[in-house]
Amino acid sequence: MISDMELVARVTGSDDQAAFQLLVERHQAAIRGFLRRLAAGDYGTADDLAQETFLMAYRKMHTFKSSGSFVSWLHTIAYRQFLQFTRKHARQQVMAEPPEQGHDPGQSVDAEILVQRLMGFVSPEERACLTLAYAAGMSHPEIGQVTNLPLGTVKSHIQRGKHKLQRWLKDHDHSIPKDKTRTGATPAQEVHRA
Amino acid sequence: MPDSSFDRKLENLLEYSESPQPETFTMDVMRRVQRERRTRKLILWAFGLVGALFGLAGAIMLSGSITRLFAFTVTMPVTETMQVVLFIVAAAAFYTWFMNDDLPLDS
Repeated sequence: MISDMELVARVTGSDDQAAFQLLVERHQAAIRGFLRRLAAGDYGTADDLAQETFLMAYRKMHTFKSSGSFVSWLHTIAYRQFLQFTRKHARQQVMAEPPEQGHDPGQSVDAEILVQRLMGFVSPEERACLTLAYAAGMSHPEIGQVTNLPLGTVKSHIQRGKHKLQRWLKDHDHSIPKDKTRTGATPAQEVHRA
Repeated sequence: MPDSSFDRKLENLLEYSESPQPETFTMDVMRRVQRERRTRKLILWAFGLVGALFGLAGAIMLSGSITRLFAFTVTMPVTETMQVVLFIVAAAAFYTWFMNDDLPLDS
């Protein structure tokens, strides 16, 4: 399999469209998933932001430093796109919408609604840190790079977010649905809980 | 002490579900990329053409006597001169804004 770095080199070197398409295909699920969690269920907005993310990545590809991971760089752009969107639409609250029936064949609608409700319960920063740690499997320093937050702040966001979710689940007597099977686009790596 | 069982539950719960229609999404992104490339090419051509016209005008003016150049600047009204300057600045600002590839991402 061709590495991300090789594909990036092809895009920057010879404006290879096929290489860029391969990068989009490879990472679209992770970026869309991340933005869907951030948007707390607003799928339309999340997908629009995901498109903007890839367009921005295409424009800025030559600024990507090979020392870092390409997927982290994409998450950085996605997170900034989301922050820019929330700043622009500060008066409009990002509301959780129940997904359409049959929208997501790999997962139960109940579980997805529960996740959306949970995401609406924590702040956007906590949402981002929790998603990057638990869904994208990033380490705390990586999350710090993506969100541009100090390591201590990342840890406290994760802790605070976790406590809120734990309390909410306890108060509402929700158990994690059993059919929330692993259909994930990006297999969560081992979370480095420093 | 981290609550590892809750961590695992959270990992399971927050995990991304399958994104619908990945092919459509990819096609949409590629279509936008192609549109962007076309627009950039068009802008490059347009600005190149304007630059070439300016160069040609300068060459014509300088090809004759230097007094012709002075005569041109004297006869050109101040308002029009300022409008030309404003147009050039606006065009440069638009070009920098649209083709802002060199601006850092984290700015």
